[in-house]
Amino acid sequence: MKMRTAAYGIFLALLVVAASFYGWKSRAAFRKWQTAGDASTSSLGNEPDVTFANLQGQSETLASLKGKVVLVNFWATWCDPCKEEIPGLMELQEKYAGRGFTVLGVAMDDDGKSVVQPFVEKTQFDVGGRSMNINYPIVLGDDDVATKFGGLFGFPVSFLISRDGKVEKKYLGELTEDAMEKEIEGLL
Amino acid sequence: MIPPPRRRVLRAAVRGTLLLIAVCATFAAAGSALRAPQDGGNLPSPSAVVQPHVYVSLDPVPREREFEVAVQAEIARGFHVNSHTPSETYLIPTTLTPNLLAGIQLAGTIYPPGQLEKFPFSPDKPLSVYTGSVTMRLKLSADARAPLGATTIRMTLRYQACNSTTCLPPVNLPVSVRLEVAAVGTDARSTHPEIFRAASSN
Repeated sequence: MKMRTAAYGIFLALLVVAASFYGWKSRAAFRKWQTAGDASTSSLGNEPDVTFANLQGQSETLASLKGKVVLVNFWATWCDPCKEEIPGLMELQEKYAGRGFTVLGVAMDDDGKSVVQPFVEKTQFDVGGRSMNINYPIVLGDDDVATKFGGLFGFPVSFLISRDGKVEKKYLGELTEDAMEKEIEGLL
Repeated sequence: MIPPPRRRVLRAAVRGTLLLIAVCATFAAAGSALRAPQDGGNLPSPSAVVQPHVYVSLDPVPREREFEVAVQAEIARGFHVNSHTPSETYLIPTTLTPNLLAGIQLAGTIYPPGQLEKFPFSPDKPLSVYTGSVTMRLKLSADARAPLGATTIRMTLRYQACNSTTCLPPVNLPVSVRLEVAAVGTDARSTHPEIFRAASSN
């Protein structure tokens, strides 16, 4: 009798421990998405077959960048956290462009070129004490582009793509340059 | 008096039940954490960040009377939206735009002042934002052409929300309220005076 009661007790205690662990894991996963620059490898795979319009009015495919490591960065002119990370992206572009890397900025403004082009042409960013315009290509995105990247609910959001067109990581929130350098170096 | 063996069984049963309750509570807590307002696996849907509640100041609304419609916007914890007068011209202001019927005139829209707050992405430059609960008011009047009986005023609440690290796309949220238009001189009672009093003191 005592043995059976003890067995029930142990079984239930194990169940509680398992449930608590499950709860802790779930909360940790939730917190992860709320943190700046969090990286995820879920729902990644081959890069989407997507065509952007560039600021010159021409079409540009993501596939045309195959052979390069590409950091696709979704941003908007109304998004302060997006603008905060632009100088860091410019530094990455300066540092790694010669080794087969590029940032591709995808502007998601509803008003498209009419607001993005003046912003890109006029806005100067402080990069290591130098005042510079954005030094990487900017293209225009829309809902169709967002859907092809799995649906975008927040900005900035970035996708790191390998030379052979595999989406290696997704980053939600502002990127940190140090962490990005490590990731880019790993793919170059 | 319960005999000792039965007492032991009873005690074990009570312990088991308590443990089961603990297990269920833990699973429920885990589940509710997962159900936190998310969409697309990452962030809340932009349209779920603001929950609007709409109030009319008079019931019924007699023709030739002024009245107000208040939209109380409950902003999800951890998020803010730009105020109606954002700190920077490139930021998207919160606006409330009515789509008025013939006979209903708009005298003005009153927005609460924004609060100046600093964020990790804007550490030096405070931004004019709304957080928590804010109430916007439409000052309206019904003229002689206002259709008698039940009618609906439709509005669009436009906002753009961010948390401390991420911004969501702008949203045009449809909002509506039903009201009863009555003949000139009909007795009308003030409704939701607490909402309108609190909003006018802002």
